[in-house]
Amino acid sequence: MLTIKDLCVDFPVIAGVVHAVADVDISLKAGKRVGFVGESGSGKTTTALAVMRMIKKPGHVSKGEIRLGDTDILSLSPEEMRQTRLCWISYIPQGAMNSLNPVMRIEQQIWDGIVDHEGTFPIRELRRRSDDAIAGVGLPARVGRMFPHELSGGMKQRACIAIATALKPELIIADEPTSALDVITQRQVMETLEKAQEAIGSALILIGHDMGLMAQCVDKLMVMKDGRIVERGAIRDIFTKPEHPYTRQLISSVPSIGGESFLPKLSAEPVAGRRSGDAPLLEFDGVSKVYGGGFLSKKGNTALYPLSFALDGRKPKIISIVGQSGSGKSTLGGLMLGFSRPTTGEVMFEGRNIATLGRAATKSLRKDIQAVFQDPYGAFNPYYRVERALSLPLKRFGISSDAADVRTRCAEACRGVGLDPSKIFGRFPHELSGGQRQRLMVARALMLSPKLLIADEPVSMVDASLRASILKNLYDLKDKHGISIVYITHDLATAYHVSDYVIVLHEGHVAEAGPPKDVIGNPQHPYTRLLVNSIPWPDVDRQWGTSASAKEEIEALMKEAKGHPPVDRGSVPGFELAMAS
Amino acid sequence: MYLIYLTKRLIMLFLVVVTAATLNFFIPRLSDKNPVLEKITEMSESSAPGSVNMQELLVIFNERFGLDKPLMQQYFDYLGDMLTLDLNYSITSYPTRVADMILGALPWTLGLMVTATLIAFLLGSVLGALTVWRKDMRLLQFFVPVVMVFSAIPFYLIGLILIYFLAYKGGYFPIGGGYSLTAFPAWDWDFISDVLYHSILPGASIVVASIGIWALGMRGMMVTVQGEDYMNFAEAKGLKNRRMFLRYAVRNAILPQVTQLALFMGQLVTGAILVEIVFGYPGMGSLLLQAVDYLDYYTIYGIVFVLILAVALSMLILDLFYPLLDPRTRSHRA
Amino acid sequence: MTLAAMVSTERQPKKLEYLKGYLARNPSLAIGIFMVGFLILFSLLGSFFVDERMAQPLSALPSQPPGLNLLFGSDTQGRNLFAVLVYGTWLTVRLGLIAGAIGILIGGSLGFISAYFGGWTDRIINFSTDVLLTVPALLILVIIASAFKDGMTPTMMALIIAALAWRRPARQIRAQVLVMRNAGYVDTARISGAGPFEIIFFELVPNLMPYLVASFVTAVSAAVLASIGLEAMGLGPQNAPTLGMSIYYMMNFSAFLLKMWWWIIPPIAALIILFVGLYLINTGLDELANPRLRRRA
Repeated sequence: MLTIKDLCVDFPVIAGVVHAVADVDISLKAGKRVGFVGESGSGKTTTALAVMRMIKKPGHVSKGEIRLGDTDILSLSPEEMRQTRLCWISYIPQGAMNSLNPVMRIEQQIWDGIVDHEGTFPIRELRRRSDDAIAGVGLPARVGRMFPHELSGGMKQRACIAIATALKPELIIADEPTSALDVITQRQVMETLEKAQEAIGSALILIGHDMGLMAQCVDKLMVMKDGRIVERGAIRDIFTKPEHPYTRQLISSVPSIGGESFLPKLSAEPVAGRRSGDAPLLEFDGVSKVYGGGFLSKKGNTALYPLSFALDGRKPKIISIVGQSGSGKSTLGGLMLGFSRPTTGEVMFEGRNIATLGRAATKSLRKDIQAVFQDPYGAFNPYYRVERALSLPLKRFGISSDAADVRTRCAEACRGVGLDPSKIFGRFPHELSGGQRQRLMVARALMLSPKLLIADEPVSMVDASLRASILKNLYDLKDKHGISIVYITHDLATAYHVSDYVIVLHEGHVAEAGPPKDVIGNPQHPYTRLLVNSIPWPDVDRQWGTSASAKEEIEALMKEAKGHPPVDRGSVPGFELAMAS
Repeated sequence: MYLIYLTKRLIMLFLVVVTAATLNFFIPRLSDKNPVLEKITEMSESSAPGSVNMQELLVIFNERFGLDKPLMQQYFDYLGDMLTLDLNYSITSYPTRVADMILGALPWTLGLMVTATLIAFLLGSVLGALTVWRKDMRLLQFFVPVVMVFSAIPFYLIGLILIYFLAYKGGYFPIGGGYSLTAFPAWDWDFISDVLYHSILPGASIVVASIGIWALGMRGMMVTVQGEDYMNFAEAKGLKNRRMFLRYAVRNAILPQVTQLALFMGQLVTGAILVEIVFGYPGMGSLLLQAVDYLDYYTIYGIVFVLILAVALSMLILDLFYPLLDPRTRSHRA
Repeated sequence: MTLAAMVSTERQPKKLEYLKGYLARNPSLAIGIFMVGFLILFSLLGSFFVDERMAQPLSALPSQPPGLNLLFGSDTQGRNLFAVLVYGTWLTVRLGLIAGAIGILIGGSLGFISAYFGGWTDRIINFSTDVLLTVPALLILVIIASAFKDGMTPTMMALIIAALAWRRPARQIRAQVLVMRNAGYVDTARISGAGPFEIIFFELVPNLMPYLVASFVTAVSAAVLASIGLEAMGLGPQNAPTLGMSIYYMMNFSAFLLKMWWWIIPPIAALIILFVGLYLINTGLDELANPRLRRRA
């Protein structure tokens, strides 16, 4: 039905021409689902935009042919192309969170598509059709009367699907439809999309970077790299015998729960934890956090309900805090770093309440608790060269003020995480890749050798192929340097491999806690089960979820999770969590 | 929730008005000039020498205007007067009431400024939107940057230029005034057309000077809106160009412009002062300048208070009506 | 990111080369600097040819059209209008610079403090700014200026204008800092042991530099605008030949009716060059600080 032959898309730049897409051939049959997978810049979105004839100038199709049935897409007039969009091919762009016009009701945004393609209808007819479309994506009819800002992320994404399928197109192109959503919503949305596509019998192109999602959703896969298709085939074939090294790398970079760890086995006994005194390294005593509230305002928002634990620190440990956005996990990180103050309770570091420390003590505390943040792009001041991030703390903490010595220490730290200092120093942040910057942050932590490291989603914004190596760097900090780590993440698979102890947070409460093999390998709490079930397995034989309908399963488990008591799955020496009964 | 929100806004407005009124009360008192003395001096100059007992008059006038009381007492009296909208008598034009003077001047200012501002707003927004949307219109791409440069020039200078070329050199328009000296104020066509004729140059100077401000703001917002994901999706939906322009791009880009317009309307009368001076146009500006010249406390108080109220009111109107334009502001307000 | 690229490349060795190249690509900045520079240069060079006293009344024959002796003619009170332009331009520019600098200094400090520390500090500063922004500035200035009318000097004038010039910068800089405060590198600096003022000056200010300079230019322009406004109402310094006072005299002594075009044109032209020049500089800086607008529209 859709055939693409020898497609080339060029972008002229000052230095010459960039071939964003080169010699791409695709043929797609009605009712089939095909995935385009690759990292950013691989040309997958550009190929889709070429089909929509929506490539932004000065980019242009320099060669090739795109046919939909008997229609030559590239030779249509602009008005004919406009008619083709939505009617024959519909495109759900990336970033669906902002894809809806904020000042129009959802149903109006369905209507204008209908009216501009099929002419005017009486309002009753339009409303009947929009209600149908909305019902088709499993949303109640009242959503049509709502504005985008009144919907959650998953609902917005489904509303976009409703708009895109309202005219029953022959082909749907979905560009990273779930990239900003958590795993549970992701599963719901993907099921909605598949159902809508089956109902109208159209073909689907799914663009993404997650091999797990592809394994669960598509029949055929195109692996793209630098504008070319490097491997193509049925999804099962690609997973069982990947041929191109890049495909193999993509598959292996998705950590899965169970099986071999991607971390090296250590031969020697890990070193003792860095700590002084007898008090526990980090202790939470009934700590909670409420945002907002106060004079003439609504009731505050409780981000974290009272939580008590003690991390001994005699033997270094990695404690994972797992949860979706809004679970309170980042609040926890802020409290540990002393960036925000607890509403109730005390955060104690080596037996001292960090909220009541004096100026000097706060400074030494800063040295002892270091952090690696989520966003490697924001963590460096764009005004300065990157090594300043390493040299500043050396000077401020009075570790060294001699320029040569500072340089040696920084260089040493870089080599420690596998970076070549001569290629890093003297550069500005924008000249380094996200992976390099994040490693530099790990190097910074290594150089300061704190007692405790807070790693807040350290790999969520790094390309998949680099995640494993950065986690290895972190793991080394614990084993070789005795630094205890609090690893905050939404990714259960990495938490499974990295950590000694896992705490699953759900809406500010602890849902389940214990050693990762038990908590994640065999979850007991309904919320943890839901999380684990919602992970898209990079395995064509393993079904996504445990029941046929994600919607029912999610609703059932969510209901069960509400008010379910926390589940204690045993403890590890050196870490104690006080479980509310 | 809506009530709480409304209460908060009203308290805020009240505080703003009282604070501004306080500043308004004390600042003229910093001067050592005495308006009553000036008034009396003027009176004695215009009457036969010796017929007026200056000392006696001073006491009578001070008493009449309450200027003999302690300053704090005067301040509270003043606050009470303002809050009950009693604007008192003018000192220099006694026994005319300040409220009457303002009512006589306000229509001139409002008529000229509101019309000119609305014209500039509409033209500027349309031009700004079109420069971004229609890259193919050569004339527009050349014309609009020139208009934007005009926005850098204060309107009184533009007014002077217009007077120089069109009134002084060309002689097409009167050099100043609200109506011809020979005209007889009445509600007939002759007078109205004369007033309109006189208002063309001052109006034009405001439009020329501020059209660029609106065009610039609109252009910036349109560029931002064009980069939004919903414009991308609208294109993917195959919508007609006209609908994308009006219902998607302009509809969103106009929102901050409306906020600006409300603020502008509040400051309007202040802006009018200089236009009125340059064109010798009757109105609030001329009135205020006279009052400042004689340091006529009550007239200054009255005019400034009306202006403060105008600002506060336009903010309140914006707060009340903006949610109709932007549904996103409805949820946390209602 | 692009802003970061701009700022950082500027610090690299071939600074002058780079600056030249940049000005060629950003013509409005170049033209703006040229226009304002031209005015200042005119004023500077002119002061070698005419004495300051020649800008006072009765220094020349009154109402003379331009000629060899009196380059720009004289007004009805016998001021040498060339001297008036030479000294008036400088006085007006200086007034703008003083008021603008004070405004940006006070406003900037308040904005930074208010946004960075938050809490009650922020609430109080923000409320004061809100209230003062509501009160029409020109009105307050008119009242203050009329109270101090006698013996007013250009510097006093600058101080009076500066008293209100900080409001807008305070508001705008606060908004910018509020966004920047959440940047990752601020957190990095915090865990590197940097104190609040160190973070403001060494982490935030450098990144806000193009924006701060643009705010300064805006403040200068606004200060000149306000001063001309006050002067045109006759509330300016009576003994200083600023451009605004020239306009006041020109209007007050009916230059239009006397058809003395040489009295009317020079101050208006100088002010237009000044305002347009400042505007173009600002547009250019805006392009630097806000690359989104670059190469568009």
